[in-house]
Amino acid sequence: MIRHGIRHVIRKEFTDVLRDGRFRWCSVLVGALLLVSLGHGWVQARQAQREHAAARATARDHWESQGEKNPHSAAHYGIYAFKPRLALSFVDEGVDPYTGTSVWLEAHRQNDFLLRPAQDATAAQRIGALTAAQVLQHLVPLLIILLTFGALAGERERGTLRQLLATGVGRRDLGMGKALGIAGALALLLVPAAGVGAAAIVVGSPGPAASPLSRAAVLTGVYVAYFAVFLALSMAVSAWARSTRTALVILLGVWVVNGLVAPRVAVDLSKWLHPTPSALEFAHTVEREMASGTEDIARPDRDALAESLMTQYGVDRVEDLPINEVGAYLQESEEFGNRIFDRNYGALWDTFERQGAVHETVAVAAPLLAVRALSMGLAGTDVEQHRHFATAAETYRRDLMRRMNGDLTANSRSGDFSYQAGAELWESTPPLRYDAPTLGWVLTNRLPSLVVLGTWLVVTILAAAARVRRAEVA
Amino acid sequence: MQTAESGAGQPPLLEARGLSKRYGATQALDSLDLAIEAGEVYCLLGPNGAGKTTTINLFLGFVSPSGGQALVSGMDVSTHDRETKHRLAYIPEQVMLYRNLSGLENLEYFASLGGKGSMGRERLTDILVQAGLERDAADRRVSEYSKGMRQKVGIAIAMAKEAEALLLDEPTSGLDPKASNEFSALIERLRNRGVAVLMATHDLFRAKETGTRVGIMRYGSLVTELGTDEIGHADLERVYLEHMHD
Repeated sequence: MIRHGIRHVIRKEFTDVLRDGRFRWCSVLVGALLLVSLGHGWVQARQAQREHAAARATARDHWESQGEKNPHSAAHYGIYAFKPRLALSFVDEGVDPYTGTSVWLEAHRQNDFLLRPAQDATAAQRIGALTAAQVLQHLVPLLIILLTFGALAGERERGTLRQLLATGVGRRDLGMGKALGIAGALALLLVPAAGVGAAAIVVGSPGPAASPLSRAAVLTGVYVAYFAVFLALSMAVSAWARSTRTALVILLGVWVVNGLVAPRVAVDLSKWLHPTPSALEFAHTVEREMASGTEDIARPDRDALAESLMTQYGVDRVEDLPINEVGAYLQESEEFGNRIFDRNYGALWDTFERQGAVHETVAVAAPLLAVRALSMGLAGTDVEQHRHFATAAETYRRDLMRRMNGDLTANSRSGDFSYQAGAELWESTPPLRYDAPTLGWVLTNRLPSLVVLGTWLVVTILAAAARVRRAEVA
Repeated sequence: MQTAESGAGQPPLLEARGLSKRYGATQALDSLDLAIEAGEVYCLLGPNGAGKTTTINLFLGFVSPSGGQALVSGMDVSTHDRETKHRLAYIPEQVMLYRNLSGLENLEYFASLGGKGSMGRERLTDILVQAGLERDAADRRVSEYSKGMRQKVGIAIAMAKEAEALLLDEPTSGLDPKASNEFSALIERLRNRGVAVLMATHDLFRAKETGTRVGIMRYGSLVTELGTDEIGHADLERVYLEHMHD
């Protein structure tokens, strides 16, 4: 139950903030940016989802109607897989513009993802592409700072703090009332935006079901905690600083470090600690290893395979085998390639994840990094969920190749190059069915960020309580 | 408001016992002994740095004493912060209010924090009028108020709180003579209702007109104390200047 004094402070602070022209203008600006970015993100996500659905259907249709051909030709013909846009991806597009959202699945190759908007964007487009997540992560904290830096420093500077404390109201009640009053004014801005976001999910969720409302609820909680960190931090600084100017300068410094410096440091530090090869280097390594194998992974020996098959089937000549030795060899080559891909892509993904861990560590100094990781995770657009889909797509590719090579092996004979499969085989190949990770999977993955954000929240609230309790009147 | 003077055996409403405050090497207040009963207006006179504001700050609990006690109705301010503040009202040299709120809303806010939240707007408007504010000014935003009008809201805040004791820190500084006279009349009315008033001021004339007793301070010490009915304006000025030139 809210104490009597706190209620009055909340009401006054709420009224005072709402009547403040600076708040009205700032909130109109931030609110407009938030709604525009939410709307733009939603429209883009819907469009991408429609285009992906159409492309997926077209790709499937092409696959099924490719006509009669050798299964290995079909394997080279390949099929596209599209990473589904989850419901919340319109809030935070995460790494998708950089990693791409579609991949061509074909024989002998684990291809890179395509459709990377960031690759095609000009510098101006990159700056202009403001997402709802960026507004929430950068602009709302700035608004909180502008509303709160004078909460106690301003009262002290104006002389009203003496009069307030002379009424008998406690410093704790005053501080808590002010924080809640400012939070109430902010809620007028953010609750409608959250409502619009929830409606966008319910009315026209652009993505497949992956507990979108639960994810949205947790995402809301994450941002509320993040805003509470800034509110508590601003209250602490305002209670401590001798003047409003000092409080503002300190808090703007924190905002710059949090939003601009720490992310840059995290990127550079993670690259320095865990370097990744350039795309060209990576491609050359894979190509080289595919050509000659590695110490641990030997290229398949066609003669040895033929010998082994002839022994297995009790024949003396390859032509006498009841199966097509070429199909068996192609499958063995696939499996060799798979081991090379697992070795290289596995190491690359592991490096990305180690880099992510560095980001989460730097979040100890900047809560933005923890929130960003959680936001992308809940929106389904982080590196881990990209890897989750890439793994599913690669598993599907391998199964597809196994089916094609299996059909060639079982239904034709060695030396028979005229064998052709038809629609029955293509149609019997199931389409890629992808289940996005559960909310529990995401939260388990993002546990360090949750812990860091929670720690920030507790520490800033304790700091605010301590500073407000000791706030001097003059 | 208290309507009768403190009875026999009742502690003074405001009392300083050997009250001292030291800031580093500076002795801001040195063993002040003072007792102000209900219906008394005690004026502390003295130049800047004499210890007047420090005395008020000590009664408000804004600073901790280095020695002695500040008592409100017999309760030590250091150990009964909330209880003593509920018995006090404070009007600073410049009453500062919230510019985005009206005079009435400011009064409503301060009164509710002082535990008088149940007063209706009608009653609070009446208090503003009693304090000398025009009725139609009550709903105007304070950003349009003059200093005199703000001081009147300050008085209204003190009246609405129905405090037993009033602490005034240079309350008429910067007011024109008419506003100062109105202010003195209000203090007189509060005194008649049994409120104990401690007023720090530079204004010898106002101290003689409004006060019942005058204490002259210098370098943190109370150097002399006079009843205002014992002396005239000229005598007070002479005594004050004598002490300032010692």
